[in-house]
Amino acid sequence: MIALETRNLNKSFGSLQVTQNVNLAFEQGERSAIIGPNGAGKTTFFNLLAGELRPNSGSILFEGRDITSLDSTSRARIGIARSFQRNNLFPDYTVRENLALACALRAGTAPIFWRPMRSLTSAHTEADEVAAQVGLQDSLGATVRNLSYGSQRQLEVALALACRPKILLLDEPTSGMSPEETARMHDLITGLPRTLTVIIIEHDMDIVLDVADKIAVLDYGRVLEQGTPAEIRASKIVRERYLGEDAFGAGGAS
Amino acid sequence: MMSMMANRTFVRRAIGVALIVAALLAQRFSGFFAQELIAEAAILGIFTLSLDLLATCGLVSFGHAGLLGVGAYIFGGMTVLMGLPPALAIIAAVLGGIVISFLVGLLAVRTSGAFFIMVTLAAAEMFYAWGFRSKLFNGADGMGGIPRLDLKPIGLDLDNPEIFALLCIGLCVVVWLLLELVVASPFGRTLAAIRQNPSRVAALGGRVFAYRLAAFTASGAIAALAGAFKVQHTNFISPDLVSWFVSGDVLIALVIGGMGTLVGGPLGAAILVILKEVLSSSFGHWYLFLGAIFAFVALALPRGIVGWLLDMIGRLSQRKAPAGMPGSSAEAEQ
Repeated sequence: MIALETRNLNKSFGSLQVTQNVNLAFEQGERSAIIGPNGAGKTTFFNLLAGELRPNSGSILFEGRDITSLDSTSRARIGIARSFQRNNLFPDYTVRENLALACALRAGTAPIFWRPMRSLTSAHTEADEVAAQVGLQDSLGATVRNLSYGSQRQLEVALALACRPKILLLDEPTSGMSPEETARMHDLITGLPRTLTVIIIEHDMDIVLDVADKIAVLDYGRVLEQGTPAEIRASKIVRERYLGEDAFGAGGAS
Repeated sequence: MMSMMANRTFVRRAIGVALIVAALLAQRFSGFFAQELIAEAAILGIFTLSLDLLATCGLVSFGHAGLLGVGAYIFGGMTVLMGLPPALAIIAAVLGGIVISFLVGLLAVRTSGAFFIMVTLAAAEMFYAWGFRSKLFNGADGMGGIPRLDLKPIGLDLDNPEIFALLCIGLCVVVWLLLELVVASPFGRTLAAIRQNPSRVAALGGRVFAYRLAAFTASGAIAALAGAFKVQHTNFISPDLVSWFVSGDVLIALVIGGMGTLVGGPLGAAILVILKEVLSSSFGHWYLFLGAIFAFVALALPRGIVGWLLDMIGRLSQRKAPAGMPGSSAEAEQ
């Protein structure tokens, strides 16, 4: 089943066309990677998928249903969650408070005003589970503004996971992470249940080639090439335009 | 840290209890005239609480006098013009506050920051312009003879300033306790999350607009309640009640006391009422001095008196905290 699909998606900022006729389909449970040089329109594509931007034309289908007109909140509620390229957290809250809030929002218990937050035991249990999943179990009580950058990146992904999404959009989850943290994130992504559809923007080609079932290469807002890692590796045009001859050998393309 | 957070809540509530004790002592041991000041401070305290609830989700209104005025004019109109019992008029005032703030909020909470300030100010000024011309309410001259709630059946004569002052303190305490409950609830925590990062709340599936509208509406209900008691206190209603001076006063009280601390509002209200009394009886251009004091507090204590106390106590308790606890060491580095 196709979980998410874009049809002739176009987006421009003024005269700059950042998304050009993008037709991509993501199978349920599939891991897809979006790669491409800086400024290729990868994050814009995510913003279109998540509903933070509206396309100029074209449509987005979620499980066959047209969701082009839904805003980001509605898309989060039907199961499309994303992490952000730049940390986008609640800095005054602890890790646990960040995650418990996300769980309460998902579970629909956030509007409760007559009981204390701490009485939402299931939201807190779930928050602890998600924290453990990303390796933040020892930082639950730490205030986010005092957290290391790498831990904030982990929380960024954890917030998206706390939405219990059907589709998870990860925007450069390992950027700025130490090698150990990157390895942990790699394990986290490979360990995600296969019922979950994952789309990831990533510059680390080791992770991309290892994790992705399919890769789409964006260049100037256009899909330059798409296919399995082997097909992308073999593609002449991708080598010329983006990866360079030694990219796979060196393992880094950013 | 969870313990630090709990610590802050504890200190905030302890300040609240101290303030209540101070208010009751002042009420018990001061003379006739001070009773009027205590009632005024308590009513302004309720008003600051309504503004602080709104500030929880990151919105600062500069037209809150408009919502105070809704309660005041409904109460005055129903009791004086229609001859209805004050108890009914209080309920109607609060309901009116809910309806009007909901309608204004539909438009206002789509904006934030300076735009929100302008929209709320404009709405209040429209109300002021209407009140200024209203024949029904005697326009700019105002209307007197507004009665107080009749609690004689249970043995309380509210025309007695001491009893009225006590009732106002009690009402302020009840509103404070209710809001303590609300800010600690999932709803209140969501409001605080919206203040920190509205777009992430939206990305997590939270309807930011609905939460802000709910906060604005609840804030309007409390402001209208304050308005209904404000006119009972002075027995008089005039458009001055709705002027931007009043919106400014409540904001000053809240900023002096500490925005986002709840208890800071009533503390700031007490300070403002006392300052006004002292300054206006000693100097001609007393608003000048008030402005200077406000500027000093804003610069020296940007988080208000209660915010400053919380930070100081937080720092002291951290020094005592064992090293190596997550969060504590990092925060001490700042």
